[in-house]
Formats: sequence, C-alpha cells, structure tokens
Amino acid sequence: MTVGAPLIRLTGISKTYPAAELSLRGTKLVTQGPALWAKQLARAARLTAVSGEPVRALTDVTLAVYPGEVFGLIGPNGSGKTTLVKIVAGLLRPSTGTGEVAGVDLAQAAIIRRRVSYVSTTGWMGLEWALTAEENVRFFGLLCGMSPALARQRTLAALGDVGLVADGRKAVSELSNGMRQRVILARALLLRTPIVLLDEPTVGLDPVHRRQMLELVGETLPKRGQTVIIVDHQADAIEGIARRAAIMKDGRLVGVGTPAELLESLSGLKVVELISRGGAQPETLPPRPVRAVEQVLRPGPLGLTQWHLTVEERPDALEAALGWVLSGGGEILQVAEHAPHLADLLAAQAPDEQEAG
Amino acid sequence: MASSVSEQQGRHPEGALVREARTLWAFAVREYRIWQSYRVNQLMWLVNIFVTTLLFFLMGLMVKGKAAALIGGAYGTNYMSFIVVAIALSTFLYTNLSDPYTRIARSYYNGTMDLLLLSPMSIFTPLFGFMTKSILDDYPRLLIVGAFGVFLFGAVFRFQHILAALGFTALALAAAFGIGMISASSFYLLNIKRGTEPVRFIVQQLLATLLAGAYYPVTVLPKPLQWIACLIPHTYVFDALRRLMDPGARLTVPVLPIQQVLPWSPLVVDAVALSAMTLILLPLGFVLYGQGIEKARRNGTLTRWQ
Repeated sequence: MTVGAPLIRLTGISKTYPAAELSLRGTKLVTQGPALWAKQLARAARLTAVSGEPVRALTDVTLAVYPGEVFGLIGPNGSGKTTLVKIVAGLLRPSTGTGEVAGVDLAQAAIIRRRVSYVSTTGWMGLEWALTAEENVRFFGLLCGMSPALARQRTLAALGDVGLVADGRKAVSELSNGMRQRVILARALLLRTPIVLLDEPTVGLDPVHRRQMLELVGETLPKRGQTVIIVDHQADAIEGIARRAAIMKDGRLVGVGTPAELLESLSGLKVVELISRGGAQPETLPPRPVRAVEQVLRPGPLGLTQWHLTVEERPDALEAALGWVLSGGGEILQVAEHAPHLADLLAAQAPDEQEAG
Repeated sequence: MASSVSEQQGRHPEGALVREARTLWAFAVREYRIWQSYRVNQLMWLVNIFVTTLLFFLMGLMVKGKAAALIGGAYGTNYMSFIVVAIALSTFLYTNLSDPYTRIARSYYNGTMDLLLLSPMSIFTPLFGFMTKSILDDYPRLLIVGAFGVFLFGAVFRFQHILAALGFTALALAAAFGIGMISASSFYLLNIKRGTEPVRFIVQQLLATLLAGAYYPVTVLPKPLQWIACLIPHTYVFDALRRLMDPGARLTVPVLPIQQVLPWSPLVVDAVALSAMTLILLPLGFVLYGQGIEKARRNGTLTRWQ
C-alpha cells in the first residue's frame, strides 16, 4: 500500500520525437559535405518539409511513485521505458503533460537533476576507458560538488557496495562488461540522491552479481531512504524487488500495481514450457486454451526449439497445447508447467485489454 | 529541502563560481591522466611539432636572402620568425576554434553528455572541461615551437612589447573560441553529426589556411581575397604579433587593406577588429550553444545511445 504524497507524480505525459529525415521536393539529399549543410540549414529555417514520421514514444502516461518505493518499469524494447525515465531525470522534455519530481516541477529540469541519480547501461556508459574504476566514480563526485576527500571516501564505499574494491585500481578497459556496469552503479550510489533511476542495471551481469545487485537495489537503497525506479525488460529482475511495477507497451502504461495485483490479471492461466526437436511452425493458429506463444530456436545442430506457452487452467489445456505444437511435426523432449510471472503479462495480454494505471 | 539534498549528497555550500572552478579542475586532472596514459602519443606529439617546424625551416632556407622582399618589410626580415609566430598562434587558434565541436561530438558518441548534464554544473562547464584536454595537448606546443624555432632554426624575437602581444593573443583566442562555440552548436542545433562541420571548415580550413597570412603575407593575395581575410581573427593577430615581436618589423606601415583605409595605426585597427569580433562572436557562441543543448534535450538527442 502506498501512503503520503507521491515523490514522483506524472500526469498525461506524452513524448513525440521529431522525424529524422527530410526531403527537398521529394528528392532525398546526400548526407555529406555542402549538401548536408544546405539540408540542415534549410531544415533549421523551416524551408523544407519533413518527410519522415515523428515517433510517438509516450502517450498519456499518468503515474505516481511514493517515497521509499522500489518501482519497476517493465516492457519490451521500444515501449518507452527509457524515454519515461529520462523525463523523470530531467534529461528530456515531455511534449505534453505535467509533473513533479521530488517536489520540483518538471519544467525546472536543472533542479530536478540535482535530486536524481541516473544509471544507463547503454553505449559506453559514460565511462572513460583509460581511467581506473575508482577515478571514474570519484570524478563524478567531484563534478557534483563533493570535496576531494569526501569524493574519495564515498567512492570507496560505493565500490564496496558493488563488490569492486579489489578491482578499483584497474583501468576500465581492463574490466569485463559486467564489472563496468557495476562501476556505473557505484557512480549512481555515490550521491545518495532522493531518487535513483536504474535503466536495465543488470544486463550483462553474471547470476551472482545480478542477485547481489538486485539485493542492493531492493534492500540497501530503500533503507537509505532512496526511492528507486528500476527499468528492465526482464520482468523477473523486478518481480522480486519492486513493491509496485508498471507494464509499458507501445508508449502506454497498460497496468500499474503490486506484482501480486498485476499477476491477478493472469489468474486462471499457467505457463507451459516445452522443448521440441525437429518439425516446423504449425500452420494453424493455436487452439483456444493457448493464450500466447513465444518460441525460440536454440542454436546448434540438434534443431531444438524452446516454446513458452501461456495457457488457460483447464484439464484439456496441456493436451491441446502439445497437439498444436506437434501438428508442425517433430517430437517433444521436455515439458514443464509453472505459474505465470510478470513477464508473461506482456505476452498474454494486448494493451487494449488492460486498464492504464 | 534544498539544503538537506545538498548535505545528503555531500556538496560543498560554496558559491556557484567556486563550484564551477573546482569542477573544471577535476576535468583538467582527469584529462591530464588520460593524456598521460597514451605514452606513444606523447612521443608522436613531440615529433609532430618538430617536423612541422622543420618543414618551414627548410622553406625558409629556400627563400634565404629574399625574405625581406617576400614578407614585405613590415614584418621584418627573418622568415623563421615570421613563420614561427604563425605556427605557434595557429595551434592556439585551431584548438579554440575546432576543438569545441570535436569534443562535443566525442561526448555524444561515447554517451557521456547525459551523465555530465545530470550533475549540477552549468551546461557550458562540460564544454570548458573538455577544452582542458585541448589546452593540455595543444597549448604547450607554443613553447616547443618557439624553442625549436629559436634554438634550432634561427628564429629571433624581441620581447619589449610582450604584454601587448599577450593582450592581442587573448583577444584572438576569445574570438576564435566564440567561433568554436558556434561551430559546436551546429552539432545539436543543425544536427550536423556526420561529414564536415561547415563553420570550422570555412573559417579554419579555408579562410585561415589560405587567406590569413600564416605562411605568406596577405599582400600576395588578390585584393578581394585580402578583404575576405579581414573577416577572421587570425589575420589581425598574426599581423599584430609579427609587428610586436619580429625583429625589424615596423609598427606603422599598413599591410591589411582595412589598415590602409582607416586613419588609425595598424595596431589600433588590429585591436579594434579583434575586440569587435570577441564582443560579437563570444556571446553569440554561448547563446547558440545553449540553444543547441536545449534542442537536444527536447528531441532526446543528447547522446547517441537513447
């Protein structure tokens, strides 16, 4: 249950990115040298029409996150999670909508940015490869106005939190990808801002460090009084630690609630995991008890396919699912059933079947 | 709430200026560490300066005895002195003019701009911070070019007007940085992220290289081109520093067409032109750069990695 005033409140937030390409009298211009300059100048002066379609990244998102919460954002790639988090961080301006972050209006991005820590694991992660892990983290502390002594002290503590003290003196170029991710997490832990935004923080981490990281996010940060928004397209990462979560699809919130509340919408469903060998994609649509199908071809010479079927809890459901898979030929090697997880929400339900939160 | 946030984050309660200065220092230390970590690069850096100076020394040998006639008398009679002023100043000017765009582009492609703009510094501080790398890398070239020129290749300078020379240099650097900011703003404002950036290409690669009189006096150019040369700061600072530092140079003989038209001494013309350029270009650069960042925030293009 949530109590008190929200720390983050967003109302009707939409974000549209402008079209990327343009044409001049229907002819696509080359993108080098003087032609590029002319193109961009013409565009800046609004002399030419934009031919590409603007990208609608978020549509009418309304959301409240409360102090001390660990709040999960779940959704497939391209569903608008990162855009939403960047708006909360003050790095992006919404196209429409209003909101407050830590008591500050969204329009005052400069103040908001002092109250959030943001971790993104995309690209180079903002790390300087030639410097050590310790130098990278400490530099960020200095940028944020810490004294050198405090920056050093907090850096060591943050590296300790992410299990990197022993490797702190190594250049980032010498670290594994997972260790680099832990460096940027350490950077986010440095400031102890009221709000911590973590965008896919566990991607690329090995299981042990992934678990440690989730424990840190789920336990240590709330104990420090920090509110966390954690973004992941792997819902199981969030299911274990988030007090509440939102499901995003196509730029919309399609469900908000505690993991248990969200899973209620899957009551009456179960998940059947199959591994098959040989055969082809069935030519018919799946029968009624099968609500969603995900299939992954496993690499290798054995021709194995992994099936993830969300089916209704009915006595004939398993038989119907197996029959449908076998209609494509081949043989079933392994069958397992389990209750659905948050990730199954994305596969099982179309966005228009759910209520926005 | 604001104070508790600051305390929580360990921020010093000092003023904004002190904070920005500390931030810049942190940048400088970081950039020095990076510069220092590429050891081969340091050797290549030294070799590059030596070769550049040697090249002009060899050209100087070619014109030995004819230098006075070639460089026109107003700038003295020593071609090495004439050319060393240009090489040294060109390094400064090139850095201030070209590096802002390069550094912003690098920050965009390696995804650090988001991170930097999350910290409480001004939107201009990251740019100044990146420029500390340029200063570390390029500014010491002045001394090394000068040393090579004087000790190995026969350049001679006089230092009785050194303060005036420093003043002209500072004005030219400010004007060049204004152009550099305008150039950097095109990265976000005009979305010029590929190919050649037009502002620095036109000013640095075309006008400064061909017309500013770095390697020959502007008087060898056709008159219309001499007038175009008067549009960039390089021309004035080369003219002023050669008059002030090269032995045998004359303070009163006009060389640039604008000096021939205006009823002031050539150095006054140089000073007025450089001051006017600084007053116009520097604020314009700041405004356009700020608008570029704001546009990138609106469109979500601060970094390549979204």
